[in-house]
Amino acid sequence: MPEDLADVYRTTYRALVRFLYRKVWDAERAEDLAQEAFARALVHKPEKARGWLFVVAANMARDEARRAARERRHLTLLKSEPAETVAEPEAEMDADAQRTRVRAALDQLTPRDREALLLWDAGMSYDEIAGQTGLARGAIGTTLARARRRLVEAYEERSEGGQDVAL
Amino acid sequence: MRNEAKGGKMSHFDDGAMHAYLDGELAPVDRAQIEAHVAECAACRTRLDEERGLIQRASQLLGFAQPSPPERAAPPPLHQLRHPRPVWRLRMPLTWAASVLVALGLGYYARGGMEAPRATREVALLDSPDAVATAEADAVSRTAAGPARLAASPSRAPAPPEPPQAAMEKAREPVLVVDGNIYGAQKDTDRATAGAVAIRSQAERRAAAPVPMADVVVTPARDADLAAARGRQETTSWPVIGRDQARELLGADPVGVPGLAVREIHSPVGNSMVLVEQQVDSATVIQLFQRRAEQPDAGRRVVIRGATSAARAAAPDVRGTERLARFVGSLRVEIAGPLSPDSLNKLLEQVRPIP
Repeated sequence: MPEDLADVYRTTYRALVRFLYRKVWDAERAEDLAQEAFARALVHKPEKARGWLFVVAANMARDEARRAARERRHLTLLKSEPAETVAEPEAEMDADAQRTRVRAALDQLTPRDREALLLWDAGMSYDEIAGQTGLARGAIGTTLARARRRLVEAYEERSEGGQDVAL
Repeated sequence: MRNEAKGGKMSHFDDGAMHAYLDGELAPVDRAQIEAHVAECAACRTRLDEERGLIQRASQLLGFAQPSPPERAAPPPLHQLRHPRPVWRLRMPLTWAASVLVALGLGYYARGGMEAPRATREVALLDSPDAVATAEADAVSRTAAGPARLAASPSRAPAPPEPPQAAMEKAREPVLVVDGNIYGAQKDTDRATAGAVAIRSQAERRAAAPVPMADVVVTPARDADLAAARGRQETTSWPVIGRDQARELLGADPVGVPGLAVREIHSPVGNSMVLVEQQVDSATVIQLFQRRAEQPDAGRRVVIRGATSAARAAAPDVRGTERLARFVGSLRVEIAGPLSPDSLNKLLEQVRPIP
């Protein structure tokens, strides 16, 4: 199994970091969590390492989000509503602005749609996504179609209307 | 997966089938069906192209949501991951607060002063009565306990001061800068949970390249603070005033971040608020909204939200940004600017009267 995991580490590490980044929105944290997921895999030696890693990573990211929410309360650092993005042609937007807007658009998806989309983008197959999300395999196409449409629409709405959609 | 029209004649496919087809996730039988249908049905060919475009666009958008730069340093070899790191690590605002506390203490220690109350007065106290506040209080008491206590703690003993320039070039080292003195800091934030006295997190050190300034490291804003920039345009229409006038309005010297050039001082008509704008670099201006505090409560720091604060009322268009506020002497000071809250927080901590 260690050799197998080494293989997965080589091929999947970046995808796992990306997947985590889109949940915690902190590059450093995403790397830390990805490495921790692999460290746990070294201990647990899961049968299907790749799927297992994404499950563990998703759980860690969720815990992280909860913890972050608690800490925000502690600090009474009450974050205002997401910054209203200014209508700007995409070509002129810097990477930060694009990222912010994609993040806001992803927030518009239902958790399940978002999860399916992020897993697909991380290189998971329909079977693997079904295994992770509990969706029927036959529903993955529909789920992804809806998620993609919503993502693109939410993103474009922001660029055209410049108005935030209520979260 | 597909709708059968009357008589069993194949009809159009739904989105799900199309996406599964385009994703290469249809079984061969289904794939053949869809291809046969699309060959005959112009409408479905068009739709298929549309869905293909949608998939590409969604994938492109997700591509924007990557850590920058996307290709970071190679991860450590797998076998080095044997010791899982603690999941929990101090988040940045807390770490900032802790590092400021330590830095103040060390700075105080280095200067050999005996006026402990002054050091504690400058310390940021958080509102929360829970663990965070306890940690802070712990740190405060360390500061107040004076040099002996600090010196007795080996992990926090200050490194010998270095010239600022040399230290800035070691941007990846954890460095604390206070009053021109620079101290190395312990890297290991994992133990910080206990005392909340360490130091800048790894995350922060490896975050997007810090911009060295006069005596503070500012990390670029993560979320686009365009709103803040727009808010600024509003307030720059306020009349420009001189320092004497500002002093008169405030009943004290206006405050600012030492070492940063004061760009302009504004004040809205009919209002005793003073706005000091300081240049962080050629493209970045921070704003310090200040007014006489009704109830001076030195050292207390709050985060403003909503329309109640005077500064917000005066600049209502600043949305989506946090306003950090602090009392400095007899003034209540709020900071705004296109920087991350952590950077603004750090800058706010440095605010002093500028004669």
